[in-house]
Formats: sequence, structure tokens, C-alpha cells
Amino acid sequence: MTDDKDVLRDVWFGRIPTCFTLYQDEITEREAEPYYLLLPRISYLTLVTDKVKKHFQKVMRQEEVSEIWFEYEGTPLKWHYPIGLLFDLHASNTALPWSITVHFKNFPEKDLLHCHSKDVIEAHFMACIKEADALKHKSQVINEMQKKDHKQLWMGLQNDKFEQFWAINRKLMEYPPEENGFRYIPFRIYQATTERPFIQKLFRPIASGGQLHTLGDLLKDVCPSAIIPEDGEQKTQVMIHGIEPMLETPIQWLSEHMSYPDNFLHISIIPRPTD
Amino acid sequence: ASCSMAGEEEFFLEERRFKQCCEDFVKHSQQIGDGWEWRTSQDLGDGYLSKTHFQVRNRHIPPDLKEKNNDNTEQMLFAHVEEPPDDSEAAGVCSAEEVIRYEYHVLYSSSYQVPVLYFRACFLDGRPLTLDEIWGSVHASYQARLQEGPWDTITQQEHPILGQPFFVLHPCRTNEFISAVLRGSQEQHRQTNYITLWLSTVGPVVGLNLPLSYAKLAPEQSTDADLL
Repeated sequence: MTDDKDVLRDVWFGRIPTCFTLYQDEITEREAEPYYLLLPRISYLTLVTDKVKKHFQKVMRQEEVSEIWFEYEGTPLKWHYPIGLLFDLHASNTALPWSITVHFKNFPEKDLLHCHSKDVIEAHFMACIKEADALKHKSQVINEMQKKDHKQLWMGLQNDKFEQFWAINRKLMEYPPEENGFRYIPFRIYQATTERPFIQKLFRPIASGGQLHTLGDLLKDVCPSAIIPEDGEQKTQVMIHGIEPMLETPIQWLSEHMSYPDNFLHISIIPRPTD
Repeated sequence: ASCSMAGEEEFFLEERRFKQCCEDFVKHSQQIGDGWEWRTSQDLGDGYLSKTHFQVRNRHIPPDLKEKNNDNTEQMLFAHVEEPPDDSEAAGVCSAEEVIRYEYHVLYSSSYQVPVLYFRACFLDGRPLTLDEIWGSVHASYQARLQEGPWDTITQQEHPILGQPFFVLHPCRTNEFISAVLRGSQEQHRQTNYITLWLSTVGPVVGLNLPLSYAKLAPEQSTDADLL
């Protein structure tokens, strides 16, 4: 039987083969070759694409280059969402490699947050972790940690160091012995078809009678359309890290084992492929 | 008690109470023509307070400021809020009048159980203001308050209902000052509208001011203005 800890590794080391192509209207001095990269599902676009930027800047004139941004089939990609979430939400049922278009001009101010430096990514990442702990532990665990522990979480992510990250993160996954889980589960549910970017609500992992709430219970409560079949057919899939977990899975277990490094469960509701 | 207390020291604002405070707040705003409205989202029925206003701003560009590099933001911000030069200095300064559209939204954070202030600003041609440009209009004494702590800052974030970039005043320290004031208020048996209290404290930091008449606002507001 697979050890639960193996799940943590599988989540951490998940990769998406990606092909980056320069937007055709960008002005280049010679032809830009596409650039191939395996993207970590758990990281962020602007954190792992320095090589992509360098590759395309080599064929462009300096004055044509401003803030880089990415787009998939016309949709600007939000760098502040984890890569795995972006893929699951927009491209999971399409052929690999994932084809992303790279832009250096006309930054879409109304759609994307700016990302002028790695500090911005770190601030965003830490803000998510802090919010997750507010939900799980009323911020007690994160506030008790020292600055160097916070730094270690970020460095672990930035340098792809599983052990370094989990040495600290395991504390954020603990709960008092008298409880059977966290206070509330940090989760967000995404659907590409809605204007609202995500659904996030307070949800307890344990019912008043002591039973463990499941993924199905969560969806029934905050997003029933995701699991209620339309005309007897299940039109949507519920996806986390590229897989469809069984709806009977306890949400406490999912939170401990399939959260992203920001300690949130990022869940995509996508159209079920018809073939 | 009108506020639920999760611990001895902290006053947490439940969502129901947040909505009620906003409702009372909007009623008063309508009475005095202050422009706040409540917007409900179609899909989930949650919502937020919203206000849009236009401001004419005189942009001073002291000649030496153009040379300063952008690493020294703090210095640049204080330079922006200097008094406008008198006529004798006017020759050395270029200034342009611009109309800026400010948008303020008050949303509820279920994670922190506090209200959160989202805002953005743009010129009339649609170009959004950068954070530096917005900070330029913040009073110097409030700028110092913002420097405290790495998380008590303004950052750009995605609006949780509209999905667009806004600037946000981070909520994690809200409870510290709100609890102290609400406790004092309760001890004196004074009723307070949480939103009025909170917004009158954080608003000015980002250029948003509340007329004094809001202070008369109390929960379960009756039509008798002498209540208090």
C-alpha cells in the first residue's frame, strides 16, 4: 500500500511539459525558436521562467522588452495561480506539450497582477500561507514561527527542495490531539466559465457528530452544480493536481496531502471530455 | 452582545453582522449623498460596498526629482507630499492638472473575519495608476504608519468577486486596533457601527475620508437621531 508520504512527493515533483512560443507580433531581429521546459505544477510561472525570458530576449531589441506575460489560447495566464492549477483549469484535456505564448508588450493591466521581482512572488506566497493558517489554526502556528522558518518555506519552494520545505510545513499540517482536524479547510474552487475567479467559504472538516466531511460534502455545500448531474449525465470533472479524487475522500486528508505549497487546496471544475 | 467574541481580546465580525453594518452605512450615505452603494453578486449572493469618486490632482514635478532613481521610493514619496511651492518658486516647477477616478470596495474576508479595503485608480483615458502614483497622494503621516511590519502593507491582489487587479490594505492587523476601540466603546455602553469605525481609521491612509456625520451611526439604527 502506498505510504501517505509518497503522495506528498508525487504532488511536489509533478511536472507539465510545456512549449513556449513568442507572440508573432513581437518584433525580433531574427526568428525566435520555441523553448521547451518541464514546469513544476506546484510553482509559479514567473518563478520558473527566467530561462524562457533569456531565450527570447536574445532575439529582441532591448527597447522592445518590458514586463513578460503569458497567454494560452487568448487567455492571459495569472502568474499568481500555481502552474498546475492553470493547466488543470485551461488545458488538462488537450494534447501535450502545453503551448504557451510569450508576450513582452501590451501588458493586460485589467487582467494580470504585475510581477516586477521575485519579492512580489514571495510576498504573495507567504500571504497565502498566512491566510491558510488563519483558517486552520487561527494563525497560531504561523505566528509562533520565526522569520527564518518563513524564509525556509519560500526557499524550499524556490529551489525545489522537498525536505527543506516540509521540515517546516509539517508543523502547519498538525492539529491539537483533542481535535480530529483543522478548524476550517483552506480551499478554492475554480471554474473557467464564471466571472468570479474562485469560490472560497468557511468549511469544517469534521461534522458536529464527529464524522469526517468528504470532498463530496464540500462540493455539495459550496458548489453543488459540480456534482449534480445534468439530465443524468455528469458534465463536469473535479480535478486536483491533474487527477479526479474520489468524492468519498475525507477533506481533512486531502488538505494534509494534496494542498499546494501555499497550503491551499486548489480545485478545478472543468468540462468532462465527451469522447 | 452585538459582536461575537472568539477569544477574550478579539472582536470578530461575523458575515451577517458585516452585511447589517454595511446596510446601515449605505442608508446614512444615501441621506448625506456620500455615494456609497451595496453591490450584490449574481451567483452567490455575497456582495460588497462600493464608492467611486473623481479627484482633480495637481501633479508637481520638482526638477531634481526626475533624477532620483526608483530604488529610493521612500524619499520620493515624501518629496511628493511637500507643500506646493509659492509663486516665487513656481517658475522652476512644471505642474499639470489631472482627473483621477478612484474606486473603493469594502469586502468581507471570511478567513480573517474582518472587512478588507480594495481600491484602484485610473486616469480618464483608462491608464491605471501605479502604487507609487497612488502613494504620492497619501498624507506623509499615514505613510509612516504603513511602514510598520512586512504584512501591514498595500499590495496588488486579485479582487475575489470581480477577478481584476486591485490594491489592498492587508487585513491581518485589523483586529488589533479595532478590538481596542470596540472594547472601550462597549465599556461606555456606546453602540458603534463597525464599518464606520474601521473605515474612518484605514480610509484616510489611502485617500478616503468619511464625513463626521457617520459617527452618529449605531447598529439597530432607529429614525430617532437623538439615539446615543
